[in-house]
Amino acid sequence: MSYLDSPVPPIRERRHPETALAHGAARCGHGPQRSTCAVLAQSDRSFTQGSICPLLPALGIMTSLPETVVLLHGAVGCGSCANGNNVNVRAGRAARGDPGQDAMWLSTALNEINVINGGEEKLAAAIVEADATYHPKVILTVSGCLPGVIGDDLDGVAAKTQSQVKAKILPVHCEGFKSRFMATAYDVVYHALGRHLLPEKAAGPTDPVAVNVMNVGSMGLTDEKELAKLLGELGLVANFFPVFARPESFAQATQARISISVCPTHDDYFLRHLEEKYHVPYIIRHMPIGIKNTSQWLLDLGQELGLTKPTQALVKKEEAELAKALADLKPFFAGKTAFISAGEYRSLATALLLRELGFKILGIRSFHFDSFAEVELAKLDQGEDFIFNVANVQPFEEANLLKRLKPDIFLGHWHGNSTAARLGIPAQVIYNSGYAYLGYQGAYDLARRLYRRLKNPAFYARVGQFATLPYRASWYQEEPFSHIRETQQ
Amino acid sequence: MSDAFLERPRWSCSLGGALAAAGNLPSTTPILHAGPGCAGNFAWTNNGAAGLAVTGSCLGLNVPATNIQENEVVFGGLDRLREEILNTIKLMSGQLYFVLTGCLPEVIGDDVEALVAELTSRKNPLVMASVAGFKGDSYHGYEEVLKTLIHKVIKPSASQEKDLVNVWGIPPTQSPFWRGDLEGLKELLGLLGLKANFFFGPTADFPSLTRAASASHNIVVSGLYGLEAAELFQNKFGVPYVQTPLPLGAAASDRFLTLVGQALKIPSRTVKKAIREAGQRHYAYLEPLVDVFNDMESQRHVLIVGEVNYALALTDFFAEDLGWIPELTVIVNQLEPESQAQVLNYHAAMGGTRPEKLIFANQSQIIAAEAKAIWEPPATKYHLNRQPIFVAASSLERSLAQQLGGAHLSLTYPIANRAILSRGYVGYAGGLRLTEDTVSAFIAGR
Repeated sequence: MSYLDSPVPPIRERRHPETALAHGAARCGHGPQRSTCAVLAQSDRSFTQGSICPLLPALGIMTSLPETVVLLHGAVGCGSCANGNNVNVRAGRAARGDPGQDAMWLSTALNEINVINGGEEKLAAAIVEADATYHPKVILTVSGCLPGVIGDDLDGVAAKTQSQVKAKILPVHCEGFKSRFMATAYDVVYHALGRHLLPEKAAGPTDPVAVNVMNVGSMGLTDEKELAKLLGELGLVANFFPVFARPESFAQATQARISISVCPTHDDYFLRHLEEKYHVPYIIRHMPIGIKNTSQWLLDLGQELGLTKPTQALVKKEEAELAKALADLKPFFAGKTAFISAGEYRSLATALLLRELGFKILGIRSFHFDSFAEVELAKLDQGEDFIFNVANVQPFEEANLLKRLKPDIFLGHWHGNSTAARLGIPAQVIYNSGYAYLGYQGAYDLARRLYRRLKNPAFYARVGQFATLPYRASWYQEEPFSHIRETQQ
Repeated sequence: MSDAFLERPRWSCSLGGALAAAGNLPSTTPILHAGPGCAGNFAWTNNGAAGLAVTGSCLGLNVPATNIQENEVVFGGLDRLREEILNTIKLMSGQLYFVLTGCLPEVIGDDVEALVAELTSRKNPLVMASVAGFKGDSYHGYEEVLKTLIHKVIKPSASQEKDLVNVWGIPPTQSPFWRGDLEGLKELLGLLGLKANFFFGPTADFPSLTRAASASHNIVVSGLYGLEAAELFQNKFGVPYVQTPLPLGAAASDRFLTLVGQALKIPSRTVKKAIREAGQRHYAYLEPLVDVFNDMESQRHVLIVGEVNYALALTDFFAEDLGWIPELTVIVNQLEPESQAQVLNYHAAMGGTRPEKLIFANQSQIIAAEAKAIWEPPATKYHLNRQPIFVAASSLERSLAQQLGGAHLSLTYPIANRAILSRGYVGYAGGLRLTEDTVSAFIAGR
């Protein structure tokens, strides 16, 4: 039975029990070593800082969907982060030719009475009213923590209310306390989209040139254009799902020749479903960040589609062109040290790119770690030693590490750069949709941005002189991973 | 307005407001006892809503938090909180540790108060506020933090300092210009020889916070926020409070100084002199603009959308300082009819300007319908239209402004398209800045 047959999707912990939340150690083996995951999965921390729950990245995808209302079912603050998501939505829509359009999100704003009596009636009324007010194609009813605790039945409300509204109601199970991994976000959104926006059978015959490229919230149109261009040179047409995809376009995904993931930890839930139900095969290896990674990503696709020769030619041409362009920048980067912190795959793949540019990697932090990324870590193990830290943000560990390692540059996730900046370390964001990160163009653009950042790091130097971090001086004397401990789940 | 949902709510929850308040107290380390995404949620929120102000030393994703999971929801979260508090004290310094409880621990019934009472010490004082998101909005969270300060942090005082006043009514972050506005109030009160103590922000200090009961008065610059806390303060410490509207610009500042002067029994001669001198300085700065301001036909019909403090204060400013016509003022707060009446009556009683039309609404379609009824395209050749339009509102009114054909400036929450650091609009100097920003907004293409 497919996971999608059940109303509630499984959390990452259940589907990928190897997923790790807390780890920190030096990587100093060269070549393949035993599975890292097996060692890591059962750890957490005795001190933690505020983090990111699945609702946040899930909202990033959901708010981007056109003609959709996101109806948050929870307390009024739960999902107020949509204000931040909306910045990306506006930029993304403007880039796609639809400027000035805000996302539409609503909150049932549960109060004390609702907590006692249940929120189902309010949710049902909100669905009916939202449908009449905004006439969307889709209403995503999204559960925050509260309905999960008080026992509201999202699917029951959707079933009862569906006949009264024109929009499709898609329940999304996103209770923050149920999973320690924000990667659960991708599964719960795919679950809702897969159950409700895909047809019973493939929408039509297989399109021999159509490729489903699974995008992520951190990719902007710039990155999509780069991948579409590369696939175009192989005679293929890239269709991007799910971010910014129109609700009615999802049916098209069932007719593709093949699907390919851009971020392996992001997509297996949906890609397996497309294969099982619609026989669309998929590739889920490598992230097209970095020169070799991009080439490998393309070569895998070419091989699956019997296009090995033209793909080899394309890769050779692109690599040569890029190498020529980077020749001017590489001497500037040579020997400079870098520290990277971001989502699992992005952090590891970006580290590989930085090595290709001539940087020395001192440390890498991944928000989580699972079996998808073993291959990436193995690639990194081929080079010099580095510190590997698994942490859902947790800047106290980062601050301690950065004080010790003193990198020349820090590369971090959106809202993950301020610790480095406060320590006076120049920082480069590696998750900001709209900027180029992917493919050969992304490699060059990141290099270009790193060049300008290192050329004049004055802002960070001055911030570092005066900005404060909340830690006692004694914390910096302690072992950075001293709060990580083994747990028995 | 819908009873079933709020559209793009223009505030966060109690916990969000409380974190913004506690996290901006001097030398204070907040500790969240909440679900795993609350801190990240507030960081993302502020990015898009609070003028890009995300981090503080112990804000953003730096704040200690229990990030409770299913295990705690089932078995209780107190063990995890105990561990978190003890480790926070080890890792982070603070003259005060402030535990804030979110939705989950309150529904499952964690007795956080007892734990805080057990763990607090003279060396590491620990307090708490119960601010589950379902208990209210950001404004409620601000009020709860003030109440905790009154109950647990501020020490009784044997004597009053005549010239010292506490200033309340501007919730940090939820009022995007809070830092500049508090400084503006300090400057205004300084004109009367008063010293302002306002607890929050970069210039506040911990000793002043604990000594707040030695103030002669509390000044609440709001028709709504901080009033409950001021009542509590009065009952506990015997310090009376003066309520005033938020004074944006010169005319409102004149009234503010007069009111405060009367309440504090400052000789009216002194007050009048302060007002006259401030006005002279103000207009010395404004004068060079008068030529072009007049000649480029700057008078506007105004649409104002915002929470009660700013919506009414902007109405006053545009009508009284710039001589514009406030056609429609929309107050976005969710208020019971009696509270609505109270807020409006208070504003009128204080000499505030009544706009041509005022409504309470926060749903985009309702606001747009009201605005379009006023700014209908002319049906006849000769039409007393209300053009040109200026929209003084939140970032969410940008598309409406475009539809109406008016210039737009983000002045109320959420503000996504302005970086706000020290900027504030309170006082005479604030009025100059508001004039600069407003004029700059409608001549951007000049």
